[in-house]
Amino acid sequence: MGDLYAWLVSFFVLIALLVLVVYQLMCLADLEFDYINPYDSSSRINKVILPEFIAEGVLCFFYLITGHWFMSLLCVPYLYYNVRLYMRKQHLVDVTEIFNLLNWEKKQRLFKLAYLVFLLFLSIFWMIWCALEDSENDI
Amino acid sequence: MGTENPGRPSFPARPSATPFAAAPPAVTPFLSSGPVAGPGVSSFRPPPAAPPNTLPSVSSAPPAGSDGSGFRPTPPARFNDPSVSSPRTTHVPPTGGPFQRLPTPPFPSMAQAPPARAPPVGPQPGPYFPGQVSHSPASFRPQPPAVPMGSPPQRASYAPPGVNFPQPSSDSSFSAPRPYSQPSFTPVDSTYPSARATLQPPMPGYATMPPNAVSQMPTTASLFPSHQGSYVPGPPGPPPAASPFPAHQGGFVSSSPLAATPGLHAQYSAPPVGVMQNLAEDFSYLSMGSIPGSIEPGLDLKALPRPLDGDVEPNSLAEIFPLNCHSRYLRLSTSAIPNSSSLVSRWHLPLGAVVCPLAETPEGEEVPIVNFASTGIIRCRRCRTYVNPYVTFTDAGRKWRCNICSLLNDVPGDYFAQLDATGRRIDIDQRPELTQGSVEFVAPTEYMVRPPMPPLYFFLIDVSISAIRSGMIEVVAQTIKSCLDELPGFPRTQIGFITFDSTIHFYNMKSSLTQPQMVVVSDLDDIFVPLPDDLLVNLSESRSVVETFLDCLPTMFQDNVNVESAFGPALKAAFMVMSRLGGKLLIFQNTLPSLGIGRLKLRGDDLRVYGTDKEHALRIPEDPFYKQMAADLTKFQIGVNVYAFSEKYTDIASIGTLAKYTGGQVYYYPSFQATNQGEKLRHELLRDLTRETAWEAVMRIRCGKGIRFTSYHGNFMLRSTDLLALPAVDCDKAYAMQLSLEETLLTTQTVYFQVALLYTASCGERRIRVHTLAAPVVADLSEMYRQADTGAIVSLFSRLAIEKTLSHKLEDARNSVQLRIVKALKEYRNLYAVQHRLGGRMIYPESLKYLPLYGLALCKSTTIRGGYADAYLDERCAAGYTMMALPVKKLLKLLYPSLIRVDEYLLKPSGQADELKNIMKRLPLAAESLDYRGLYICDDGFRFIIWFGRMLSPDIAMNLLGPDFAAELSKVTLSEQDNEMSRKLVKVVKKLRENDPSYYQICYLVRQGEQPREGYLLLSNLVEDQIGGTNGYVDWLTQIHRQVQQNA
Repeated sequence: MGDLYAWLVSFFVLIALLVLVVYQLMCLADLEFDYINPYDSSSRINKVILPEFIAEGVLCFFYLITGHWFMSLLCVPYLYYNVRLYMRKQHLVDVTEIFNLLNWEKKQRLFKLAYLVFLLFLSIFWMIWCALEDSENDI
Repeated sequence: MGTENPGRPSFPARPSATPFAAAPPAVTPFLSSGPVAGPGVSSFRPPPAAPPNTLPSVSSAPPAGSDGSGFRPTPPARFNDPSVSSPRTTHVPPTGGPFQRLPTPPFPSMAQAPPARAPPVGPQPGPYFPGQVSHSPASFRPQPPAVPMGSPPQRASYAPPGVNFPQPSSDSSFSAPRPYSQPSFTPVDSTYPSARATLQPPMPGYATMPPNAVSQMPTTASLFPSHQGSYVPGPPGPPPAASPFPAHQGGFVSSSPLAATPGLHAQYSAPPVGVMQNLAEDFSYLSMGSIPGSIEPGLDLKALPRPLDGDVEPNSLAEIFPLNCHSRYLRLSTSAIPNSSSLVSRWHLPLGAVVCPLAETPEGEEVPIVNFASTGIIRCRRCRTYVNPYVTFTDAGRKWRCNICSLLNDVPGDYFAQLDATGRRIDIDQRPELTQGSVEFVAPTEYMVRPPMPPLYFFLIDVSISAIRSGMIEVVAQTIKSCLDELPGFPRTQIGFITFDSTIHFYNMKSSLTQPQMVVVSDLDDIFVPLPDDLLVNLSESRSVVETFLDCLPTMFQDNVNVESAFGPALKAAFMVMSRLGGKLLIFQNTLPSLGIGRLKLRGDDLRVYGTDKEHALRIPEDPFYKQMAADLTKFQIGVNVYAFSEKYTDIASIGTLAKYTGGQVYYYPSFQATNQGEKLRHELLRDLTRETAWEAVMRIRCGKGIRFTSYHGNFMLRSTDLLALPAVDCDKAYAMQLSLEETLLTTQTVYFQVALLYTASCGERRIRVHTLAAPVVADLSEMYRQADTGAIVSLFSRLAIEKTLSHKLEDARNSVQLRIVKALKEYRNLYAVQHRLGGRMIYPESLKYLPLYGLALCKSTTIRGGYADAYLDERCAAGYTMMALPVKKLLKLLYPSLIRVDEYLLKPSGQADELKNIMKRLPLAAESLDYRGLYICDDGFRFIIWFGRMLSPDIAMNLLGPDFAAELSKVTLSEQDNEMSRKLVKVVKKLRENDPSYYQICYLVRQGEQPREGYLLLSNLVEDQIGGTNGYVDWLTQIHRQVQQNA
């Protein structure tokens, strides 16, 4: 039963991550179409970057301690990338160069999004699997 | 050897064509080929005489088809026939071909080279676009004028072939034509007899051909309709006599302007030798020796192209579109806009524009100011384009069509005017916005988000001990005081001061005071502004207080021994004071920021970092504070100019960021001492304060549908994808941008660009300066090359290279410059490799003849040259920030300084003004130019280096330097002595300075052999020489040539 809760938690964390990344993408798209100015856009994005990084780290760690080492391994590349950006101090978007980097920032977040969706599907799959197994055991 | 165009001399042959006096003048180029063609001549004469007969056949579809098919097979003919290459006695007729082509087919059998040679060219002028793309350079000349004039349908129709034919222009096409050339001969031969008889028969004879040609060459056949399309509408304004040959006529007409512009070709007067004589080539070339890359390149140093006349602005565009704005405002890297993305990808040079919106205008050419008052500014409803000379009025003047998005707009009632018979507005003479490419509109209140700001100057002055010692403060205070009267915007001008060392000093200069009050804030962590209202005062009201302050400033701190600098907090304080209004912030900075926020480490110039991946980090701001601060400053309309003086490392890379993103500039005076560089600082500060400045400006460049500006390069911040925020902009700033095609194919014939700069003038008026430019769209790569503008390209190159140094190694930046030049020349070579034996020659378009040299000079410029030892890091960064803002002309001068010899002039008795002009002859920048008995001035726009030859006659030195003449020259400054010679030299120097008032050039005197000063002052400027492991000009060319030939 514990496993099912573990998957549920990871499901919600993943949803949260998705929301954060989609929010950043929306800010970038708004910027591109001139709905908001670069100052607002970059401050909004920068506000959620650290929460995103931390949530991702937590998720990876959570998988590890609940014994889902395979999922944990899947999270590692993403985590490594984030840590590398952070170490190089490139994790925040730069308001002065944001237009030149717009395409790159968007691409980067789209990749993240795809990756997260993939993880989400996996975790849903495992969650259902667990639930079914539990119900089988009940019988 | 040399850059002469071998094709040119063959034009004189043209007069021989005059026998056809009956022919319309436009036909002359073609006629010139008559005599050449030998037997063909006989067949030639008839055509003009018998137009009516030929007319039907030509105008009917089949002949046109034959034309299309006929011209395909012919090019191979000359490759096939061995006899062809040698006896190309003339290849005059760029346009004459059409007629020769008819006799052509027969000739191969007769080994008649000239006609065989001519045909490929001949037919092409008709469908000249495809022709060009495929190979003929000969038909090029006529074309430039023809392009924009060509009738629209014609253009539209040849676009497809242009796209379809990339192959012929490539190398592979050399062999490609061969296969089908052979079969085509047989049928042609059969028609030969008739072809020879008169021209008239050949036409029908041709008409019989298409089946053959078509069956043998499906490719050609498929193209034929498009050619045909171009034929029929071809004659844009056919002279009657030419009517029988509508297809060719376009060629004639266009070629006549060519003949009429001898000036263009004056340089080709030298008759070339050998085979080349026969080729009407469009390119220039250098013979690189028989073995490419051999040690003896066989290059004649003297004949290498050098920009000794400075920057020559291309004027072809202005001739075609006389209503364009002047090239000082807007220059395109090529005046021919490619019509397809595939063409763009083959143009390896940057495609874009360099804009200098407020460029200084000579007397009498000021930009007219237009006030629409109640009407409101006339703009397109959809794309917001401003009304300009290229809009068209229709519907009896009630509507106008936007030239950029072609939307039909209503003309407001107040702006209405009748149209005359030609469709021009009757009031056009009173409307500068409809007759001039550059105008200024007075903007009504819709263009203001707040009342126009007053000109505002705020000074942030470092008063730490090194600033005191160098005498900087004194010079600055004196200069500011001296130009208080000249500050623009009287009586609204505002002014304020903050000084700082380890604390921040504010000055209350309220007009009611007699003495300024100083308020010291030493809490650096939580900055506050003590007297928010009185720190920034109206200059005219507080004039006496400001003057008192400036008088006291140097003495106030003379005993200061503080070595710290709270630069960051002081900057924040200045920002808080200014944020209400915006304006210009002048920072005088002498010590590395060491206290409070934004303090910088002595990260220094580490030798070990060079060549590694971390190298670029030295050139970008260390602390994000500076970038953030710059962004905030821009947001509040504050432009920053940084004056840096330190002899030690002050991290210009970080501090300069402030200027970079606020549209300012960096002035760097390494090891400043008032005694030697004071004059420079005084002049440059004076200019900075008094030049006309546009405040709280934004700039946008619009362009026609299908193309888009994608990246911007320069000192500014982007506020949205295409809006440049420029808090303070003036005549010394230029911005570069690159464009790309959004659609794969452009269908318009002309693309329009419109630069709009919305700003507040110093007088408090909101204005919009609008520059409009039209450029033709072409389907042909060689046309793009011919219309290229080296100045704009080099400007874009240098900006891209400097940006590259911020994320890559210096070496990578240099390599990318070289690579792009190589790619461009390779592509260009491929255009011609097919039909000319290029051999070991290096070919390049006439328009780009200086590009390799400027590329070399760029690689040797302070910003990207060498490595650790070649330039101080601060100097490198400062030069980078400066070059990012320089207008084209100044950049070119900086890259290739002018070197002039003056001793002969000085020795001549009584110099007159015209003599002065004579000595301004620029010499090549090579050690060979320096005579050890001479006296030279090297002028790069930023400083003068006066070089004394070792054997310079002592009395010149004595006269010029007075008693100091034998002393160490580093300690001597040039001052006027009481003798004729010295006065003359001072006059020369003054004259040179007048040429370029943006910066003040101080004279550095250096004696030959005086190391190391000579090395870094002069020798590093001799860009054509090999200096410390870098390439000389010859080696550079050889290297480029070798790379061009690899897999070429």
